[in-house]
Amino acid sequence: MMLFTAQAAVYYMAAASVASALLAVTRRNPVHSMLWVLALFLHVAGIFLLLGAEFLAAVQVVVYAGAILVFYLFVLMLLDLPGEETRPRFGGHWPFAVAGGFGFAALTWFTQIVTHDTAGTGIATQSPASAEGQFSVGLADVGKALFGQFALPFEMASLVLLAAIVGAVVLARRRTDS
Amino acid sequence: MIVPMDVVLKLSAALFGIGVFGFLARRNLILMIVSIEIMLNAVNVSLAGFSQHFGDTRGQVLALFVIAVAAAEAGVGLGLIIALNRNKPGAGVANLTQLKG
Repeated sequence: MMLFTAQAAVYYMAAASVASALLAVTRRNPVHSMLWVLALFLHVAGIFLLLGAEFLAAVQVVVYAGAILVFYLFVLMLLDLPGEETRPRFGGHWPFAVAGGFGFAALTWFTQIVTHDTAGTGIATQSPASAEGQFSVGLADVGKALFGQFALPFEMASLVLLAAIVGAVVLARRRTDS
Repeated sequence: MIVPMDVVLKLSAALFGIGVFGFLARRNLILMIVSIEIMLNAVNVSLAGFSQHFGDTRGQVLALFVIAVAAAEAGVGLGLIIALNRNKPGAGVANLTQLKG
């Protein structure tokens, strides 16, 4: 019963993610699009939770849904694009965009079918602990990896964020000298 | 294992395709950048899935770095959009053709 509930949750999360992503890229009103993206991010956080990535789920909610999305909404409302709903949503080339999207999705889809061999020779060989359901990546393991093996990339991420802050200020600043 | 790996990968593929479509088709600059975020999220889903599948923490760490870079990209991208909107108010993607040869 417990397993059935978890399976149902997985399929609900997957279906709701795809549906809200589709709605997000097709809505006419940009603010509605943003709210569907919010729904997408929360459902993806649920998938992270079901995958045993609790920390990633928390970061997804706090950083993506909490900070990045609010930032986008803030800029969207700051710019206040007039007549956005009357203009066409898509460029005239949108059938090619559909083909491109399907092409990328099909590429990934078929690649995983080809490489997912259960005989245990392909890339998709599952670790034994994970197959038995014993394995779970805990928060302590992620922390140890982040501050041990990945300490230098972690520090570089802070530099990237600092550069982005300075860059955003420089770009968006009103020039008064000229 | 609660989550089947093929479901995770197919979900990731579908989300990435939707993101590609949104980026190529939408005319609103902000929604184009949001489509990039959808694509990054699709990649994060498959990274977390592989992390669980192989029993390895590195997938989750890489997904955290992807989130950090996405935050930086959002900051710079929206700064660019604000600067653009100040110089050419109300300009859409179709009107931004100064760099056209």
